[in-house]
Amino acid sequence: MTTTVTPPEAPIVKEQKRSRLPKSARAGGTLHGGPLAYVILAVFTLVSLFPLVWTAIAASRDNQRLAENPPPLWFGSNLMKNLEIAWKDANLGEAFLNTTIVAGISALTIVVLSTVAGFAFAKLRFKGRNALMLLVIGTMMVPPQLSIIPLYMMVAKLDWTDQLQAVIFPSLVSAFGVFFMRQYLLQALPDEVIEAARVDGASSWRVVWHVVFPAARPAMAVLGMLMFVQAWNDFLWPFLVLTQTGNPTVQVAVAGLGRGYTPDQSLIMAGALLGTLPLLLVFAIFGKQIVGGIMQGAVKG
Amino acid sequence: MATRSDIAASPVKGGAAPGRTPGSRPVDKDDRRRTKLSRRWQRDARWSPYAFVAPFFLLFAAFGLFPLIYTGWASLHQVELTAPTDMTWVGLKNYTRIFDDDFFWNAARNTLTIGVISTVPQLMIAMGIAHILNYKLRASTFWRVAMLAPYATSIAAATLVFVLLFGRDYGMINWALGAVGVDPIGWQDDKWPGQIAVSTIIIWRWTGYNALIYLAAMQAIPQDLYESAALDGASRWRQFLHVTLPSLRPTILFTVVVSTIGASQVFGEPLLFDPNKGASGGAEHQFQTLGLYLYEQGWVNQHLGRASAIAWAMFAILIVIGIINQLISRRLRASS
Amino acid sequence: MRARTLPLTRQRSGGGKPFARKALAVAAVVSLGTGLLAGCADDGGDDSSGGSSSGEGKTTITLGLFGTMGFKEAGLYAEYEKLNPDIKIEENVVERNENYYPALVNHLTTNSGLMDVQAVEVANIAEVVGTQADKFTDMSKVEGVKKDGWLPWKWEQATTKDGQTIGLGTDVGPMAICYRKDLFEKAGLPSDREQVGKLWAGDWNKFIATGEKYKKAAGKDTFFMDSPGGLLNAVLSSEKEKFYDASGQVIYKTNPAVKAAFDLTAEAAEKGLVQSQTQFQPAWDTTIANSKFATVACPPWMLGYIKGKSKADAAGKWDVAVAPKSGNWGGSFLGVPKSGKNVEEAQKLVAWLTAPEQQAKLFKVQGSFPSAPAAYSSPEVTGATNEMTGDAPIGEIFSEAAKQIPVQVIGPKDQIIQQGLTDNGVILVTKGKSAKEAWETATKTIDNNLDQ
Repeated sequence: MTTTVTPPEAPIVKEQKRSRLPKSARAGGTLHGGPLAYVILAVFTLVSLFPLVWTAIAASRDNQRLAENPPPLWFGSNLMKNLEIAWKDANLGEAFLNTTIVAGISALTIVVLSTVAGFAFAKLRFKGRNALMLLVIGTMMVPPQLSIIPLYMMVAKLDWTDQLQAVIFPSLVSAFGVFFMRQYLLQALPDEVIEAARVDGASSWRVVWHVVFPAARPAMAVLGMLMFVQAWNDFLWPFLVLTQTGNPTVQVAVAGLGRGYTPDQSLIMAGALLGTLPLLLVFAIFGKQIVGGIMQGAVKG
Repeated sequence: MATRSDIAASPVKGGAAPGRTPGSRPVDKDDRRRTKLSRRWQRDARWSPYAFVAPFFLLFAAFGLFPLIYTGWASLHQVELTAPTDMTWVGLKNYTRIFDDDFFWNAARNTLTIGVISTVPQLMIAMGIAHILNYKLRASTFWRVAMLAPYATSIAAATLVFVLLFGRDYGMINWALGAVGVDPIGWQDDKWPGQIAVSTIIIWRWTGYNALIYLAAMQAIPQDLYESAALDGASRWRQFLHVTLPSLRPTILFTVVVSTIGASQVFGEPLLFDPNKGASGGAEHQFQTLGLYLYEQGWVNQHLGRASAIAWAMFAILIVIGIINQLISRRLRASS
Repeated sequence: MRARTLPLTRQRSGGGKPFARKALAVAAVVSLGTGLLAGCADDGGDDSSGGSSSGEGKTTITLGLFGTMGFKEAGLYAEYEKLNPDIKIEENVVERNENYYPALVNHLTTNSGLMDVQAVEVANIAEVVGTQADKFTDMSKVEGVKKDGWLPWKWEQATTKDGQTIGLGTDVGPMAICYRKDLFEKAGLPSDREQVGKLWAGDWNKFIATGEKYKKAAGKDTFFMDSPGGLLNAVLSSEKEKFYDASGQVIYKTNPAVKAAFDLTAEAAEKGLVQSQTQFQPAWDTTIANSKFATVACPPWMLGYIKGKSKADAAGKWDVAVAPKSGNWGGSFLGVPKSGKNVEEAQKLVAWLTAPEQQAKLFKVQGSFPSAPAAYSSPEVTGATNEMTGDAPIGEIFSEAAKQIPVQVIGPKDQIIQQGLTDNGVILVTKGKSAKEAWETATKTIDNNLDQ
């Protein structure tokens, strides 16, 4: 039985070498961010959050103040009142439940199916692989704006109008997800790990479960977040298929807010704000998942 | 891949089954087990990839294929939204008239310029932000949540904010420009200001999205690559150039392809930036993109057949771009 | 050499055990979700659009509406439910008609997803009458519904050539000119509404002339009128024939009335009489709040809009004068699709909602002007006043205007043509283009959109 000849001096030598290297010389995830990094992030965050914060500011005002110039830059006193009216009027409790189901199932299914398919395209050899991959990318190239018209005809025939499955099933088709996971796994999943697993007698399914999923975790978290938001914010299709008195999603439910001959912008903004808050919660939960995968440890020599 | 001497799968003397001596009966059993395993393994290796990609294609066949076929079929007919089953055959007329359609080519030019202005800075900034987010930071979850906030913000609310910012008479940007002595710019009126404004909204909305994609990919770059580069004396910038970027090549390719496709189809931002109710992308169609033109012809003007032809023409343009890209890269590779 | 990686059995990373737990959580969520989905699907099946019987033996009638109807806010549902205890009313409302109408078209063409009652705006009624009439019931046959209960031109708008009336009129938007008394006084113009009306009686050219007088005195501070689109709309609405002729042909390019209206508006734009604004946009709202213009073409609902966007000190400063010629802007209809589950009950509800008494109530609460002439003599209309116009008898003024509106030929693409003339046409003149250039841009856009 062969043994690894690991010279006992080697770790010490490495440590010495490492300690000679200033911390600032190392890039990558072990380095702490300097003050410049925080400044850049702060500016970026400010720009990113400003419209959302302004949505809250607008929701805390009334319609007349919003028409005046200069527009309000700080909070007024109407926030609680507008949020309450928006919640009740749009029946948001039910809409939140429906949308969580839709977005949750959609995101979860897309992530799982895309990872598995992406793995096959990235790492497995099979006939027609390249042609099929090009086909996947090709399906993204037709603009989707018109597709909902024939899709509605289909759904009407299936008698799925005003049912959540009419919104869930079409959303599961995600060439983006497959393409994304393929590219990620090409880079993040070394062949050696798969080989080793195979060598240990693992079938493809076990490889997927024990090797691919752990390795793909950061990408799965990101894809899940993106697909969740996409399903949550989708308007055109759910609006066509669902009704407010039946099974509305959030965007369908808030579509009626602020109605009247004079649209009440502050109420509309309150609805938009309520519709976005759950997403931020989801981000906070899944953001933690974007940490390094197991490969960093496993591939060390 | 060279066979290793210590792995179990191949029948080797004194290999995986310690304690067994090569005898006739045990070998038979082992051999049979191994051939059974290897046959199962072969079957698995042969068919499992198809099983893995099948769900996507099945779902696509169920829910994605019919709409595509329908719009393709509709593009060969004259058909209106008010009677989608009432089709009059016109052959390729909807396609050939595109050549004469000034509005189509205007929209195509706008799509190109808006696409370049919005995509290139977006991806570069996204890469930079991802790199920073890859450091060990305090409150890292907060920064990551903030990054996706633009994508999560309802597009109607976001566009309202930007319309207020870019207003000609009362907008904050013109107010700031006025403070430094610049005349108010008609952001919604003129061509380049309009395209810059729309591009700004697009960049604002999608940079964090791409940054997260890059960040996820950066998480998979093994630390020792950085360490050996640092040991070789590479500065942080050179480490970024020589370790990060090459490792991210598949992901960068992904974002470039997806952003190109997305840029060719963009219609939400120019739709909402226009003060007018129709979808003309400005009074003189100055920021009407192909995606918006498609929307206008299909949904506002109700010409389903014509709009379908525009959609498939956009598809054809992307194919042509892809082919040209392939030819160029092949030519480059051949010459180098 | 040994394999560089751990064998599979020992490949437990930080994601090992917690990962298995995560997998279990995932499976739980999926099954829970599927269960809920199945549950919701069943619920959806029961409460699906088209009305149904919910537990207590009540019949639910569903309405599909867009933003300006206001039945719920005026308490009409509660009132009807009290009068008819076995009826329950639910509404699906969309704030913007631009979203409501395309969805309605899709539902009509597939005859699926329709509510018991569907509203149609006046801009879309011609198209619905022309292409989807077979999906609606004939409201003229409903018990108690009589043609003379509505203004004649309103009734005609929803009636097909064969005499089928697919919808009953709810409100109308008879136009007058709302003007700022204080700004007129400052510019040396009379501020009494009779005298103001005389300034431009019968002729839109006189209206422009008044505007020039205003501009000379007011200078750059304020504009005479709010927008070119408003002016063009007011002038075109007072014509008997605008974009279509009686046989249904598109005549917008050859109709001299249309070119005259366009040229008049372009002239007003060139002379700086109208703001360079598009109506109902945030910037336009700001000009209301900041009192930047003196007149606006004004249906009754516009007063409500002005109120919603004005500062408190603007109350009472407006007044209403008779327009040079009357026209209509806005209004809707309620129709009952054949595919509903409760057609008869829905028809009864629609007849009740559009009856003169209810229309008068709606006017009081929402500002939606009645289309039933019988309502004009009701106290809600005769005694109506508005905060912005102080004690002006707006009910009477608008009733008169409503009776003067001509029966206009409408066509399915009216809105597209008008949008083109406004948004791709006269607005350009306010931005410095010539009237000729603006007309060319407009007609080119419109012809492309009409597929001529």
